[in-house]
Amino acid sequence: MSKILVVEDDIGTASEIEAALIDHGCAVIQAADGKDGLVKAISGDFDAIVLDRMLPGGVDGLGILTALRAASVQTPVLILSALSAVDERVRGLKAGGDDYLTKPFESLELTARVDVLVRRRSGPVQETVLRAGDLEINLLTHSVTRAGRVLDLLPREYQLLEYMVRHSGQIVTRTMLFEEVWHYRYGEATNVIDVHISKIRKKVDLPGLVPMIRTLRGSGYVLDATA
Amino acid sequence: MRPLEILKTTSFRLALAFLLLFGAAAALLFLFVDWQMHDFLDKRSDEWLQREMQSIERLPADQVTARLVIRAKDTASIERPFSLFDGHGNQIAGNSVDYPQNPQFDTPFDFVDLTPVRVHYRGLLHRLPDGGVLLIAQSLKEQREFRETLENATLFASIATALLGLLGAGAIGLGSMRRLDAISDAASRIMQGDLTQRLPTGRAGGDIDRLAAVVNHMLDEIERLMHEVKGVCDNIAHDMRTPLTRLLGSLERARRRATTVEEYSQSVEEALEEIQGILKTFSALLRISEVEDGLRRSGFVDLDVKTIARDAVDFFEPAADERGISLALIEGNDEPAIVSGDPSLIFEAVANLIDNAIKFTPEGGRAVVRIDKHSDGILIKVEDTGIGIRPEDAEAVLRRFYRAERSRHAPGNGLGLSLVSAIARLHGMKLQIDTPVSGTSISLTIPQPAN
Repeated sequence: MSKILVVEDDIGTASEIEAALIDHGCAVIQAADGKDGLVKAISGDFDAIVLDRMLPGGVDGLGILTALRAASVQTPVLILSALSAVDERVRGLKAGGDDYLTKPFESLELTARVDVLVRRRSGPVQETVLRAGDLEINLLTHSVTRAGRVLDLLPREYQLLEYMVRHSGQIVTRTMLFEEVWHYRYGEATNVIDVHISKIRKKVDLPGLVPMIRTLRGSGYVLDATA
Repeated sequence: MRPLEILKTTSFRLALAFLLLFGAAAALLFLFVDWQMHDFLDKRSDEWLQREMQSIERLPADQVTARLVIRAKDTASIERPFSLFDGHGNQIAGNSVDYPQNPQFDTPFDFVDLTPVRVHYRGLLHRLPDGGVLLIAQSLKEQREFRETLENATLFASIATALLGLLGAGAIGLGSMRRLDAISDAASRIMQGDLTQRLPTGRAGGDIDRLAAVVNHMLDEIERLMHEVKGVCDNIAHDMRTPLTRLLGSLERARRRATTVEEYSQSVEEALEEIQGILKTFSALLRISEVEDGLRRSGFVDLDVKTIARDAVDFFEPAADERGISLALIEGNDEPAIVSGDPSLIFEAVANLIDNAIKFTPEGGRAVVRIDKHSDGILIKVEDTGIGIRPEDAEAVLRRFYRAERSRHAPGNGLGLSLVSAIARLHGMKLQIDTPVSGTSISLTIPQPAN
């Protein structure tokens, strides 16, 4: 079970985040102001930290982040902010944040991103082949096979599928997919991403094979390797 | 009428200041003229005195008395008396003048003769070789009268000028007070909420008129913005009421009818969807105002418009394909099109245009994104063969929540083009909507940094 520290001053938002993470199977510790957050973040052993950008108590989100990184605490941090401006985001990531989420957000978006951060912690492995069930991706040649059959994917489809395979078994939201592959911020991306995924699905979930790409009601997908 | 207020007006004070300045200048001028004239007249009479003295001196001694006697008989000589005295100041011959109280010899001087009447003279005394004293004098009456006349005229002119000037200053002050009263009346009516009021402007086109015209322009703009804000508020209220009513209806229906967990969960699902839609609309509104605030300008970097257009086209291609619309990118040349901007926002603008093109083009249609170099910068043009925008709607579609008649049935919140317009303004881009006979053509021209 992953242990998550949530540093958020707004009680309502904090309890929503806590509920979402607990439902997702995480253990949650709360901190309601900057000072408390910093103390807990440094002393505790967390798998990830959800950090509000604006905090009372002298130290704000970026302050905590800077202090943490200065103290060589490398716990992955997801920054929450009401500010969506690009330079805000850049500042957050520069200060050592690993991901940035703008309020308001859906709980699925939060848990999916926390998941990615927690898994990433297990360290990047230098590999040349990604496998998920009978799906195989060669990272050097960019060739993709399912059950031995070569799949003909367009470059963007390859990038989307690679991301899903890297996070197989985890929920990836449409926004995450879009940001990963296109590197822009665009709120209206969701419906169009669905079309991309349905094209990939046609190529991956060939007739006669067990479907791997599962749509989650709401806003995400799971690549299910056990299928 | 408030007479004291007139005194406080700038125009009155200005007029008064000029009056004083002019008065001082005139006084100086008068003093100078007076002094010069006095000097000139004195010199002239002194010269005359010297000349006469010389001509009498040249006469033989015995003829002097005779000459004076003859001259004394001429009544015209009273103004210019000649008189001969003995060494003790007793008159021997000539006009009847008293021996001066303050005799000075051989240099002109002023003296007063008291008998029979008080007369001022300028005179010259000379001692003759035989011991007699010769006096030649000139009455100063004429000179004094002349100066008096001049002084009186000047005084009268000064008083008249001062009066006229004061009256004029008062009139000007009154005029400007009336203008200011009219302006402040109009302004207070505007402050009380009547935004249709305008400041009065005269025909003269003076400085106050120019100022009033500028303020009126500002008021036009404020009125327009107020209308827009009001329109936006009304639209928000309207656009929020519709989904909220649906939400309310479906929840009420669930309370009435739902009996199983599945039925409840179905209505929760529907409610969530409605709320997500509402949140999306709010987020879009906030994004527009965030973009309009210009805060994001700090996130500007140099970017290649072509890369962004390619990304946008390949992002939308499957969606276009699915709807049976061909989406193509046409690049005018092979050079990168570098401009300064926020990549995500430019992507969003282009994406919104492409999204609209796909949404409003029927199956079998075509959408084209063109990138070209233009004299004003980089031109991004999105054309389609869809339902088009009516020329009379071309401006309105940029307004928040505005949805043209033909587009009402399509999904959307009426904010897409408002956002494009806000992004265009942030980047200094020119947004142009063309309304060809069939289809739509919207272009963005991004100024390129001069290098």
